[in-house]
Amino acid sequence: MDISSNLRIGPFEVFFPAQPVTPTQQHKSDSRYPGQLFIVEGIDGSGKSTQLLLLHKWLESRGYGVVFSEWNSSPLVKDTTKLGKKKKMLTPATFSLIHATDFADRTEKSILPLLKAGAVVLCDRYVYTAFARDVARGMDRQWVRELYDFAVKPTIAFYFRVPLDTAIGRITAARDCLKFYEAGMDLGLSDDPHESFRMFQGRILDEYERMVPEFGLTVIDATLPVETQQSQVRQIARRHLEVAKELRVRP
Amino acid sequence: MRQTYGKSLPDMKLADLPGKLIVIEGTDGAGRTTQINLLKPWLEELGHAVLDTGMTRSPLAGEGIRRAKEGNNLGRVTQSLFYATDFVDRLENEIIPALRAGFVVLTDRYIYSLMARAAVRGVEWSWIRSIYSVALKPDAVFYLRVGIEQLIPRVIFTRGFDYWESGMDLFPASDMYEGFCSYQKALLAEFDVLCAQYGLETVDASVDAKTVFSVLKARILNVLEDLHKVEIPKAPSYAPVRPARVSPAEGPIAASGSNGKHFELLLQPLANFAAGSNGNGNGNGNGNHNQH
Repeated sequence: MDISSNLRIGPFEVFFPAQPVTPTQQHKSDSRYPGQLFIVEGIDGSGKSTQLLLLHKWLESRGYGVVFSEWNSSPLVKDTTKLGKKKKMLTPATFSLIHATDFADRTEKSILPLLKAGAVVLCDRYVYTAFARDVARGMDRQWVRELYDFAVKPTIAFYFRVPLDTAIGRITAARDCLKFYEAGMDLGLSDDPHESFRMFQGRILDEYERMVPEFGLTVIDATLPVETQQSQVRQIARRHLEVAKELRVRP
Repeated sequence: MRQTYGKSLPDMKLADLPGKLIVIEGTDGAGRTTQINLLKPWLEELGHAVLDTGMTRSPLAGEGIRRAKEGNNLGRVTQSLFYATDFVDRLENEIIPALRAGFVVLTDRYIYSLMARAAVRGVEWSWIRSIYSVALKPDAVFYLRVGIEQLIPRVIFTRGFDYWESGMDLFPASDMYEGFCSYQKALLAEFDVLCAQYGLETVDASVDAKTVFSVLKARILNVLEDLHKVEIPKAPSYAPVRPARVSPAEGPIAASGSNGKHFELLLQPLANFAAGSNGNGNGNGNGNHNQH
């Protein structure tokens, strides 16, 4: 039996559209799977997790089967990531690869099967986080994009845009101890964690801005009141959910 | 200057890596480990410093991969990326530093096994190729080729069938024997593709280990041609050694310095040997060479 020809079915889906996504295509849901994939992106302190939590509550209250998948949470991989971070063993390349491994496990075991089953899948951070961070760490832009070629294209990628100072103000008010990799200390930008964090986040912000037109991210002004942002998020989400109405768990 | 397969990693300095990167590839049971265990002491005997490394031996991901494989629920994309993490950790922290220090790096498998395994599992070539575009091009890759007929008895009579070597994640319905045959056959086919694309040198490994070893030795010697050779210093000649003539101006310094004393110690037995006596010969203990 020649299995090599039978099984060569390729990555789950071509992640990168041949043409840059235009604003008109942006809100077309991916019809390949019955489920819906909503993801949130933004620098630390942009308020994206809060917005996702509120979206989650709303979807549940409306009776949708909702599943939440967190960045860096694969049971198979997270111990290795933890080890690498704790012992400061990670280089930009292995940092990138271990996060891709984690993401692959979640894609294979949960995100993809759930979308096939018709669930609404919510992700706090998605491939764009990896693109932004890894490139900020000096990885080749094209290499990192190809690395995540297996990822499912989200129905909507919300990007919470916030000025650097606002985000840093929110973060430093909430905690004063920054972790080594979180602050980008591995890059040797500065000996001061707060200064390093600022420089690293600045680079990440630049990468996000570059990705807005490249991937057609849906921009939400994260300086607006929480409620205003959430109304926008729900309005956009609703347009896609109307299509998937028949898949609701409860009537 | 050394090259990669297309992309380089941050801070990967490709200049000044004088060591040699030698890869031993082959399917499970082809005798890679046996050969490396023979090659390492041989290379060391020739005076080369050797680093041997192999898959899943990275401090970062080795243990994680072993644990993940125990559960038998490792997906094909996750598996490929976990192995890539292990590979890059060893590339950056072991292989490159060793090459910089002039070592001969012997590696038990490289990117080719990983590419073949991924390809057999239906992962797209272009994707896996892109990931490993950061790998260094080795100085030589020896692919130990063993046909399926010889492979089976080797595996049965040594360690028995293994879940992953039998591709049971691909053929859950078959038994270990059928799985092994189908999986290893598919791997052999992928390796043939790799040989053509990446210029792997095929070594017939169906013969006995000694023959394979001598083939490998001959080919490796070619690869090491431009490395420094260890030359054994010539045996000391026992002809009478005349002390260097010290000019009067330098005399007192040489006589009082420690150099003179060491010279004297070295000189004495040689001089005695030459004179055929065990007396005090020409040494006078004060380092006054001119007296003789």
